[in-house]
Amino acid sequence: MLYLIGLGLSHATDITVRGLEVVKRCKRVYLEAYTSILMAADKESLEEFYGREVILADRELVESGSDQILDNAQDDDIAFLVVGDVFGATTHTDLVIRARELGIKVEAIHNASVMNAVGACGLQLYTFGQAVSIVFFTDNWRPDSFYHKIMENRKIGLHTLLLLDIKVKEPNFDELMKGRLVYEPPRYMSVATCCQQLLEVEDKRKERAYTPQTPCVAVSRLGSPTQSFKAATLEELAEYDAGEPLHSVVMLGSQVHELELEYLLEFADNKDAYRAAVAADQELFTKK
Amino acid sequence: MDKVTNVRNMSVIAHVDHGKSTLTDSLVQRAGIISAAKAGEARFTDTRKDEQERGITIKSTAISLYSEMDDEDVKEIKQKTDGNKFLINLIDSPGHVDFSSEVTAALRVTDGALVVVDCVEGVCVQTETVLRQALGERIKPVVVINKVDRAMLELQISKEELYQSFSRTVESVNVIISTYVEPVLGDVQVYPEKGTVAFGSGLHGWAFTIRQFAVRYSKKFGVDRSKMMERLWGDSYFNPKTKKWSNKDRDASGQPLERAFNMFVLDPIFRLFSAIMNFKKDEIPVLLEKLEITLKGEEKELEGKALLKVVMRKFLPAADALLEMIVIHLPSPVTAQFYRAETLYEGPADDASCLAIKNCDPKADLMLYVSKMVPTSDKGRFYAFGRVFAGTVKSGMKVRIQGPNYVPGKKDDLFIKAIQRTVLMMGRFVEAIDDCPAGNIVGLVGIDQFLLKSGTLTTNEASHNMKVMKFSVSPVVEVAVEVKNGNDLPKLVEGLKRLSKSDPCVLTSISPSGEHIVAATGELHLEICLTDLENDHAGVPLKISPPVVSYRETVEAESRIVALSKSPNKHNRIYLKAEPMDEEVNQAIESGKINARDDFKQRARLMADEYGWDVTDARKIWCFGPDGSGPNVVVDQTKAVQYLLEIKDHVNAGFQWATKEGPILGETLRGVRFNIMDVTLHADAIHRGAGQIMPTMRRATFAAMLLAEPRIQEPVFLVEVQCPENAIGGIYSVLNKKRGQVVSEEQRPGTPMFTVKAYLPVNESFGFTGELRQATGGQAFPQMIFDHWSTMNGDPTDKNSKPGEIVTNTRKRRGMKEEVPGYEEYYDKL
Repeated sequence: MLYLIGLGLSHATDITVRGLEVVKRCKRVYLEAYTSILMAADKESLEEFYGREVILADRELVESGSDQILDNAQDDDIAFLVVGDVFGATTHTDLVIRARELGIKVEAIHNASVMNAVGACGLQLYTFGQAVSIVFFTDNWRPDSFYHKIMENRKIGLHTLLLLDIKVKEPNFDELMKGRLVYEPPRYMSVATCCQQLLEVEDKRKERAYTPQTPCVAVSRLGSPTQSFKAATLEELAEYDAGEPLHSVVMLGSQVHELELEYLLEFADNKDAYRAAVAADQELFTKK
Repeated sequence: MDKVTNVRNMSVIAHVDHGKSTLTDSLVQRAGIISAAKAGEARFTDTRKDEQERGITIKSTAISLYSEMDDEDVKEIKQKTDGNKFLINLIDSPGHVDFSSEVTAALRVTDGALVVVDCVEGVCVQTETVLRQALGERIKPVVVINKVDRAMLELQISKEELYQSFSRTVESVNVIISTYVEPVLGDVQVYPEKGTVAFGSGLHGWAFTIRQFAVRYSKKFGVDRSKMMERLWGDSYFNPKTKKWSNKDRDASGQPLERAFNMFVLDPIFRLFSAIMNFKKDEIPVLLEKLEITLKGEEKELEGKALLKVVMRKFLPAADALLEMIVIHLPSPVTAQFYRAETLYEGPADDASCLAIKNCDPKADLMLYVSKMVPTSDKGRFYAFGRVFAGTVKSGMKVRIQGPNYVPGKKDDLFIKAIQRTVLMMGRFVEAIDDCPAGNIVGLVGIDQFLLKSGTLTTNEASHNMKVMKFSVSPVVEVAVEVKNGNDLPKLVEGLKRLSKSDPCVLTSISPSGEHIVAATGELHLEICLTDLENDHAGVPLKISPPVVSYRETVEAESRIVALSKSPNKHNRIYLKAEPMDEEVNQAIESGKINARDDFKQRARLMADEYGWDVTDARKIWCFGPDGSGPNVVVDQTKAVQYLLEIKDHVNAGFQWATKEGPILGETLRGVRFNIMDVTLHADAIHRGAGQIMPTMRRATFAAMLLAEPRIQEPVFLVEVQCPENAIGGIYSVLNKKRGQVVSEEQRPGTPMFTVKAYLPVNESFGFTGELRQATGGQAFPQMIFDHWSTMNGDPTDKNSKPGEIVTNTRKRRGMKEEVPGYEEYYDKL
């Protein structure tokens, strides 16, 4: 049996009780360590907490070496630990498909993911649209397909959750082309970088999917003891230092409920200005 | 130097052994750099020890000469000039085909070419190659027919025969010129009667043009100079009885008339030759007096060849004839850059930099092209040698150094550094100067670390690159080198870097199995490179493997099924098909006619009009590879795939990687078109980054190729052998043994010599020269030049075929798995 187990957002102890029980009795335990990180735990603290060995599974192992993970899983119990929720922002459906092909039973044990925990900022999960990832721009790769999706969300008044790029164990491509595998140092995108990139794309496309004054919420270290929120305009967040990773950003849609706004104002430096920005932003799509 | 209208930048080009360096000597001698006695033997521009020993030029060498002209002569210059003082920047280039990249580098920085042709051997394969290259760079040629003394002394031919031989040579040069000429150059064919052809002997230090004789005779006959010039060439005859000119070779009474050229030009020369060589002591002084030649004391004692040399040199000094021809007929930088600008510059023809080049403007922003690196006496350092096309370069100036991969607006391949010093290159010496304005050739100190082999220097941020040089030869012969003593390895690595810098065409690389590879254009080139590496650049004893040939990987058919590869996370899928491209297209890409960096619409038009491509397809070419410019393309044939453009760069990167080292034996791909049939992408950008797309594209490329009847191509030389009739049998038998194919066999008119042309696989060429010499009793000496890639029959994945054998050996040598992997290795099932 292959168990996919969500670890939650931050602490080693965020794992569910059922999850913990399974981990303790599995033959091998893999920790997927490249799509996200646990903010307040590492491999050692997990091993200590579970009282057993944990194998780090990097991108190569999960994507190219799945046979190794699934080896003899027909008979043995294997745990595959995923930060957040099992089917959250991750791409592990492929592992499940391959397990099925091999006749291995699969069970998922869920946990919190940024995709639902983001409700903590006060915006209702019901009114969120498509989530998008913002990737690090490079000199010649500046993908802006998210712009279109934000536009679609905002046209019907929905909020957009922006997930920020994480580069853990990313190969250096120049070296890769010479046939060598060399990893770049890990990088995590900050709220400020994300907002700067958003502004750059709006400046280029000028289709007014959003403006520098569009209200947003910066979400930092969600689910950890130092979790914090900041409600401000896009322009202001481009200058904002959100501290340690991980960060996310929510861009508001025009359907802001009274209660949502009331909750949000708690996180704004200048409440009146923010209220005014929300009101002004609602005009953007109602005019047409 | 500041009067750019009075500068002439020119290269001396020719087939090997036609006497370029020797002829150059006579010019150098005029500038007073070497003594007259030594001219013709010193080979001043052959600066290297091995050049002197072997008697061939290996590296091109620049030298600046100063010349003054009579006011009379200056009037005949049909372009803007200023005063009668001229600066001639001359580059002597190697004639051996293995070094034609040196010629390319020399041509780039010059505007005119002095084409030297051996009077006996005539136009040879390398004459044609360099002439073609020159015309391609929009360089105006003048011709000197050299070694006339040989024809007269060794072959003892008559005046009329000599005229016929001259005329044939001029004609064959003009055939080449008219084949390759670019319309903007106008008529650049050469005409003796216009003074664009000189005749002479570099060894003896004499030469003449029709113009010089016309000047002598125009006074005597009271005819206009230019009219006289026309009368002294071609079917023009003089009747001494009636004192009338005619265009028929018989007079009214049917008596044969003598050709004017023979009578007025050749006759005095023949008379001198016969008098001196037959030791007719009494005739000599009479002749000398007539020709106004005075001998000094000890010179009167000379006789035979030595006397002939002295007399001829006084009678018709080579430097006079050549300088006159160069100054009058070759364009100044101002004239030349006007029509060369657009072919020299990559950017739009109307931007500031291009206009500055066009006007040769010394006050504009700097545009300088570095065409090669010249080693300094300081080991490991180089002068960057190039030409200022616009602006003025000064010592201490901060410049943008743009390598060949630089793209305007980006930071790749770009350095901003100060030039330490500017120098003039004078053969063996350099001379420091403060600055150097547009139109001149210059050496730069202190920027060698920032350029690999060549590049553009500019002070304008918006400037595009100057066009990268295309070489007519490719490095097709390679060896692996290793150090004898393990501790020397760092020195070898450093030495390889230096070697690569010092030669425009050598390639150094590290194979997947960790061997250091040196690739060169031919056996001789390789030998020179390795000697340099061992004795100079690395300075450590080396072990060198037997030479091997580099191959190309290609396909013969369309992929039989669509190749599918999935990204590591399986959410992205690329569907690809490979098919062969026409050989003409491959060559057009390799020669730069179809250029990856051109505007895509123009390029698509060209491909549609001349190469039968569908315009829509041609417009959808995503990229060329390898190195962004090679003869393989990716064409987007997908329909309505969302976010497709977001992965274009990653597809491109994966493609460059795949085309550089193919699946069959790790060689470069050639002549394959890849059609992207469809693409499936993950909805979110983070899951379709470079890490997902690049390897997928590479795998898809390999799978598509292996599904399309893969083949390998081997390089083939064109061999030209000159020999007497009795040696032909020997040539054929050696060619037969080595898979050679005879293309043509012709007798050179007026000589007992035959010219045999044949194709010979490079792989069989090792030791060819030696075997040929043996089979023909030393009478045949071949010239080999890379000609084309030829697809080898047989499946390279089948171990028992000929190509399969090559593939297996290469894979073994490179430390790859012996078996060529099946397409399944790179193919993912749906």
